[in-house]
Amino acid sequence: MYPIVLLSFFGIVTLFLGFSKSKNILLPATLLFLIIALAGNFLEWNKGPLLYFYDMLRVDNVTLAFNGIILLSAFMIFAISGGFQDNPDSEPAEYFGLMLFSLVGALMMVGFQHLIMLFIGVEILSVAMYVLTGSNKRNLRSNEAALKYFLMGAFATGFMLFGITLLYGATGSFKLEQIQGFASNMQVGSESYILYAGLLLLLIGMLFKVSAAPFHFWTPDVYEGAPTIFTTFMSTVVKTAGFAALFRLLSGSFTGVYGFWWIVIAAIAVLTLLVGNIGATSQNSFKRMLAYSGISHAGYLLIALTALSKPSQNAIIFYSLAYSLSTICAFGVLMLVSKEKTIGGQPNEYYDAFNGLAKQNPLLAFVLTVSMLSLAGIPLTAGFWGKFFIFTSAAERGIIWITVIAVLMSTVGIYYYFRVIISSYLKEGDLVKIRVAPFYKVILVLATFLTILFGLAPGIFEGLI
Amino acid sequence: MSASLLILIPLLPLIGFLINGIGFKTIPKGAVGIIGTLAVVASFVISVMTFNDFVASGSQPLVVPLFEWITVGDLRIPFSFQIDQLSLLMLMIITGVGSLIHIYSIGYMHHDEGFGKFFAYLNLFLFFMLLLVLGSNYVIMFIGWEGVGLCSYLLIGFWNKNTNYNNTARKAFIMNRVGDLGFLLGIFTIIATFGSVEYTEVFAQASSFSLEDPVIVTICLFLFIGAMGKSAQIPLYTWLPDAMAGPTPVSALIHAATMVTAGIYMVIRSNVLYSLAPSALEIVGIIGGLTAIFAASIGLLQNDIKKVLAYSTVSQLGYMFMGLGAMAYSASMFHVITHAFFKALLFLGAGSVIHAMSDEQDIRNMGGLRKKLPITFITFLIATIAIAGIPPFAGFFSKDEILAHVFEHNKLLWVIGVIGSLMTSFYMFRLLFLTFFGNFRGTHEQEHHLHESPASMTIPLVILAVLSAVGGFIGVPEALHGSHHLAEFMSPLYDAARQANPAGFEPTTLSHSEEYLLMGVSVAVALISAVVAYVMYVQKASVPAPDSAEKSGLQRLVYNKYYVDELYDNVFVKSTKTLSNILYSFGEFFIDLFVNAAVRLTSFSAKMLRKTQTGSTGDYVFAMVLGIVAILFWKLLL
Repeated sequence: MYPIVLLSFFGIVTLFLGFSKSKNILLPATLLFLIIALAGNFLEWNKGPLLYFYDMLRVDNVTLAFNGIILLSAFMIFAISGGFQDNPDSEPAEYFGLMLFSLVGALMMVGFQHLIMLFIGVEILSVAMYVLTGSNKRNLRSNEAALKYFLMGAFATGFMLFGITLLYGATGSFKLEQIQGFASNMQVGSESYILYAGLLLLLIGMLFKVSAAPFHFWTPDVYEGAPTIFTTFMSTVVKTAGFAALFRLLSGSFTGVYGFWWIVIAAIAVLTLLVGNIGATSQNSFKRMLAYSGISHAGYLLIALTALSKPSQNAIIFYSLAYSLSTICAFGVLMLVSKEKTIGGQPNEYYDAFNGLAKQNPLLAFVLTVSMLSLAGIPLTAGFWGKFFIFTSAAERGIIWITVIAVLMSTVGIYYYFRVIISSYLKEGDLVKIRVAPFYKVILVLATFLTILFGLAPGIFEGLI
Repeated sequence: MSASLLILIPLLPLIGFLINGIGFKTIPKGAVGIIGTLAVVASFVISVMTFNDFVASGSQPLVVPLFEWITVGDLRIPFSFQIDQLSLLMLMIITGVGSLIHIYSIGYMHHDEGFGKFFAYLNLFLFFMLLLVLGSNYVIMFIGWEGVGLCSYLLIGFWNKNTNYNNTARKAFIMNRVGDLGFLLGIFTIIATFGSVEYTEVFAQASSFSLEDPVIVTICLFLFIGAMGKSAQIPLYTWLPDAMAGPTPVSALIHAATMVTAGIYMVIRSNVLYSLAPSALEIVGIIGGLTAIFAASIGLLQNDIKKVLAYSTVSQLGYMFMGLGAMAYSASMFHVITHAFFKALLFLGAGSVIHAMSDEQDIRNMGGLRKKLPITFITFLIATIAIAGIPPFAGFFSKDEILAHVFEHNKLLWVIGVIGSLMTSFYMFRLLFLTFFGNFRGTHEQEHHLHESPASMTIPLVILAVLSAVGGFIGVPEALHGSHHLAEFMSPLYDAARQANPAGFEPTTLSHSEEYLLMGVSVAVALISAVVAYVMYVQKASVPAPDSAEKSGLQRLVYNKYYVDELYDNVFVKSTKTLSNILYSFGEFFIDLFVNAAVRLTSFSAKMLRKTQTGSTGDYVFAMVLGIVAILFWKLLL
């Protein structure tokens, strides 16, 4: 609960800091805010389930773990944003303020206990993201992406709200527990159909947010159009929050009707895996490939949802962390490289921009390689264990066929993840030595280190939850 | 002993590796040696402290959990260290001898351009070796096992510009892989049988199995295959003599004192299992005995100073396994300890000679070196006496104890052991006399260059010489009115095995006079060989014939190592190549067909998918609506 209050306050403070002439203070201040929020988050560790805001928000260790991942990812992303100092058009105070507010939304999505809270969280997060996507005002693609994202997001929100309404109509409540009570004891009849319809519509709205197929169409265009730093934010923070919310929703209210919805999620998971992985193979832009890779990872996470058990909950937490760390590394290196090589004034985000990276920048090449290995799920990286935990949780539930498809699709993943490794190590290029700010380097190394550490000893993390 | 201090024992060499491994291009040479050596010396000091604490607190074994490592279903593999008599003894040997060899390497490798790389590898090796002996379960042991194999590979092929050296490194790696497969199968069988890999749990459950249970025998044999690879036993021994391509300190540390004894460590660690499987132990003993005599006989005619020592190592390892076969676990461990002292000393002495001779290794070109290299000579002499088994030096006590146990167990193996020790004494004194006595036979330039090695090399020699001389007194047999400290210390390790198989641990039935007789025989044999060698190589001053000379059939057979390498080449390598050629020419077609079809399918569907991504928001929303309608129709109306 502390981080929600703190970040709301800090967001306002950040906007006021924007009035000062010097922009230099903004970044350190924001990083400090995040550290305070992170510390505040863990004050409630092991304090048991606590309820706040008229029982609309619940804080337990699962909430705190998700919050921790979100805040840690946010901290790393802020740290590599470099304060937007190289762009004279940018308004760092506004960006930082919006990002802090959107974090508040994300945290609400993680801890909600009441559907209105979920809706508010989703909207706070989304509206901020619409704006940030279009923050590169002079870039046409950025504008287009923002508008696309907004239009389609609004469309999905409509379904979501409609779903909530139907659920209220069926159960007479917005509270997860009461919906759970109703759904568990319900007789098949007209109310059950209203509840089913409500659940499906609500799920569709949420699945849009986590870019599951066939609601994924916005993802490649928006990820590619948005400034890379916000793409990073979208693909880590937003995705983690989305899955935390989906898990909370399904485990908190709909375990009683598991037989009804699991096959929907399973079908969507398979479709998402196919679209994400196969779509990624034909991309020539590294950034667009990462967008498809984001879709495919949503597919893996959906598998954990179909299992819906204690192990699958831990698997989602572990996977989100592993995925966020690697994604931040990948985008972090992309930002450095693409800035170095430009096409017509715009950053070059194609694979060939990475040609010969390893020669002059062995550290960056290494960071990139580890993150690709982790995303592909190669052993000795955190990503391997993330996939492993998800697959075992599904197998324990007896859903073997979906695991088989997922394993096949993850072999496809190796193809497109390794392309950039090949570019950086085996191809000749004229990349010069890229200057990296010390703090930037520290973040990349830290994320790589954690990826390897959790890859060697996933038990460390499991012991924490 | 606090866990944080304990974890430093393997961690310090790892840190040393990271510093030297990452920064070897920038760190000055002096600092590299100091960092690498300090890491090991500090870990030796902590090991000694741990040892003292352990003894002071009543010798209670303890398991120190570090973190939860892997949990899969019901199988839980924690990352934890086990501190008991066995791991402590190994710790002391590894870090102790390791420290000396690091100090020696500062001098020995000084002129090498890969100085930093060398120290980084050495430290990495120690890290894995320490992990191997400290782990509290078979999986950690396996990681260490593979890690030391990797380091051994890297260090054998250290001078990687020489293709031959690279090939020997590969040979060592592949031969070890054969053994590792056995070890892995052993681990899998253990998991399948006991549902755990933790030593304490496995051994507790194993105690309830009956003697000669087929599962236990299978596990023991699988594990022993692993030991054969790592500890160079027949038929997987041929890599070790070739491993001499590595720098000499590596031969001393990895291929004499520590890594190759991992197999013995593993068997002693699993003594509960082996005690339950006497038939497996029988095989261990026979293989050990055969290896002991076979390798010793090859050693008789070798002319490369390091090759002689390498075959001697293989043969001594054979003795250790012979002891294990007779369930004389402590005696084998005793021999591991004394062998670590005198064999490391022999290798380092050989290194000192090679250093002085400007990289000459052929003993036919040496001779008379005792005046030019006095310290090396005296220490080498002590080591030779020790390995030959002449009292009161270290080798006598340990080898004699093994032979006494073997005598009780199997008279034929004892005869083999005695013949082996006759050969050992002969080839070692032959080596000593040819190298240090007589007249110098090298080139004029080499003679001019001869010099005693620097202090950083001679001090380790002296320390090891002292240990080789007095090291045997930790285990004086009762017949000589001493007390066997080592056996007493290690005795608690076998409590579980003793309960499971009481017959195997009955006290010796040999009377004192019988024991005297056995000792007398082995000492006499060693002395006779030494005298024969003296007569041949000092009095008659004969020198082994050059390679071009005609040899008798038997001589040729032994000189060419019984053509085992050629045999393996024809039987295994060639047939594997033929098979893979067949598969390549014929199987590849089918694989390609399958792979290419998968690729075509993927790229075709990718092309289709691309078409759906039109960029128009209207299309996207339309697709979404289709999806929504489909879901609602499917779930609500169907």
